[in-house]
Amino acid sequence: MSLSPARRSSFLLPFLLALLALAGLPACGAEQDTGLARVRRTGELRWGADAQGGEPYATEDPDAPGGMRGFEVELAEALARELGVRARFVQNDWSNLIPSLERGAFDVALNGMEVTPARAGRILFTRPYYVFNLRLLARRGDEAVTSLASLRGQRVGTLANSLAWDLLQRSGVEAVPYEGVEEPYIDLEQGRVRAVLMDDIIAQRYGQPRPGLRVVGDVGEGYYAIAVRPGEEDLRDALDEALGRIARSGELRAIFQRWGIDSAAQQRMVDWTEAQTREVLASTHTARMGWGQLVLFLQAAGVTLLVSVGAMLLAIPLGVGLSLTRLYGPRWAGRLATTYVELFRGTPVLLQLYVLYYGLAGVLRLDPLSAAILGLGLNYAAYEAEVYRAGVQAVPRGQLEAALALGMPLRLALRRIIMPQAFRVALPGVTNDFIALLKDSSLVSVISVVELTKRMTITAVDVRSWLIPGALCALLYLVMSYPLSRLARRLEARLERG
Amino acid sequence: MIEVEKLSKRYEGRLVLDGIDAVFAPGEVTALVGPSGGGKSTLLRCLNGLEPFDAGVVRVGSETLAPGDVRAQGEQVRRIRRRVGFVFQQWHLFAHRTALGNVTEAPMHVKGVGRREAVERGRALLEKVGLSHREDAYPSELSGGEQQRVAIARALAMEPEVLLMDEPTSALDPERVGALIDLLEQLRSEGLTLVAVTHEMRFARELAARVLVLYGGRIIEEGPPARVLASPHHERTRAFLGLGRGAALRSLGA
Repeated sequence: MSLSPARRSSFLLPFLLALLALAGLPACGAEQDTGLARVRRTGELRWGADAQGGEPYATEDPDAPGGMRGFEVELAEALARELGVRARFVQNDWSNLIPSLERGAFDVALNGMEVTPARAGRILFTRPYYVFNLRLLARRGDEAVTSLASLRGQRVGTLANSLAWDLLQRSGVEAVPYEGVEEPYIDLEQGRVRAVLMDDIIAQRYGQPRPGLRVVGDVGEGYYAIAVRPGEEDLRDALDEALGRIARSGELRAIFQRWGIDSAAQQRMVDWTEAQTREVLASTHTARMGWGQLVLFLQAAGVTLLVSVGAMLLAIPLGVGLSLTRLYGPRWAGRLATTYVELFRGTPVLLQLYVLYYGLAGVLRLDPLSAAILGLGLNYAAYEAEVYRAGVQAVPRGQLEAALALGMPLRLALRRIIMPQAFRVALPGVTNDFIALLKDSSLVSVISVVELTKRMTITAVDVRSWLIPGALCALLYLVMSYPLSRLARRLEARLERG
Repeated sequence: MIEVEKLSKRYEGRLVLDGIDAVFAPGEVTALVGPSGGGKSTLLRCLNGLEPFDAGVVRVGSETLAPGDVRAQGEQVRRIRRRVGFVFQQWHLFAHRTALGNVTEAPMHVKGVGRREAVERGRALLEKVGLSHREDAYPSELSGGEQQRVAIARALAMEPEVLLMDEPTSALDPERVGALIDLLEQLRSEGLTLVAVTHEMRFARELAARVLVLYGGRIIEEGPPARVLASPHHERTRAFLGLGRGAALRSLGA
């Protein structure tokens, strides 16, 4: 299992970007020269990519620490040479390549960037440098899967906001979004999705080597192109020319050959025209923010609520048990409970979700929703244990003595006398944790659960705007958390009397 | 009722109880007196297993309490505690329960008495301690004297044969002491065995049949209050009572 391509964006960043855009603030600094002039002046073509995207795109070279390898590395170097400058790699999270490009973090984004209308609306695309197929894989022996049409209503995995994602959305299948390239194939093997649709380069490396899987077929094609900031048409044109030159000279296909990704279809890159690019964009459709999206948002909010409430219902009794074991249990059990708390509190919940869902998939086959609830529940139990421990310790010692003096067994005394009073002390902390959990539940998107934040990022990219999806997402979170705060405050006031 | 034999306890290397032998007879009121640190409260707490001890034995009827870990003696200790009630110096009423709730809690959940019956008996006990009108009040809403009377009712609700009281008068206004003595006198007349740690000589004089003087973890003197308090034999008792060689009246009416 690899944690590598963590292609997720935080909830806040796009929202803040949207606010910045709204305020009309220029997002980038006061650079005087733009585009080609800047590249020439600095003598560098800074290209943004994610080294965690996996082979064969652009990854760190294991033989030369700090160096990069991949067909895109060679492509960037060839293009820079054509422009008479040096290529400089800039690391950037894949899902934020376009916002970072807009901010001016680098000159171009060059990293398996598919030509989709959602992206074309925001940035300039060069002519494509690679044509790929969308490859459908299913389990060996599952012969019922013959085409996309045979998968109507079934769960099919892919990367969110990819070309394959768009195609699945239109095919009447239930598209399951992943953030890495390996995880969908793990889930396919485990039977958690019926099929996986991905770019053939990815399928070749990560899907086809798995003995339990088979290729159903290629169901469409798409193009990788380089993204350039709007307004820098001169840079785009220069790159187009450079691309044309290395395509015609055969250098481009030589690179592909070195990486084992060449095909006859790549010959089309040689005499590609701008008109063809426009045709590609016209043939795909653009989603709009409408009532249908609102329904999807509400559904996703329901998932967020279900995951949060489920996890909390698990975390509370488990946390109570852990805290009481630490305080009153035998020494060995107390140590065990302490270890649990430190382990689950001291490691990222993201890692725990990965291990639970992918790492233990061989022994514990959980569906995504159960894994999400269990994973967050186990993690939050560690926090709840500490909140209750503080609560129990705040109850005066005499309360326990008084209960014991009446002949109560320890368990009864804890249940009837100590815990109700400890709960009163712990309540603000528990409320706080629940609200935190409501938002932390967005982490479960890494195990392919579409909750509110994931829904927002998917929709935002689809409709090319963060503003409305971001505001709607924030509103729904508030609608869920605010009444809870109010309820907790009323409960506190009621308990205050005793 | 309670027999204590060769009871010893060390605490942080110091011998706080040093071979105590004592018998508390049914229906008898005993006052434990002596200077602070003499071992009175520790002895009281050993009598119902709130405090472990290192040697000796405590017998309550047919039940015995052995030295060592109290929790390990689980059911045995609980049977003793059900027969021996305890009223703490600071009462420790259950903060999240009303006065009536405090009184009904143990009968319902330890003895398994039905709610209706527990409430009925609880009300009767609150009436007995003069708090019928306060049954719905929470501990934080009660005065010190009221809290103490709820604590007594709470202990009595388990129908103990013995009631242990730690410094029952120390947190009371002087004018309340008389009312407490009247209440305990009534309980005594109903056959309850009482053992109280006290600094209040009036309490010992008016209520107790017997006074035990503890000093350095030993019983240095015992007898009827009239004799022990008026003409103590032991020099330490005289010093404690402020009778010896012009010692100050430091311990009286504390």
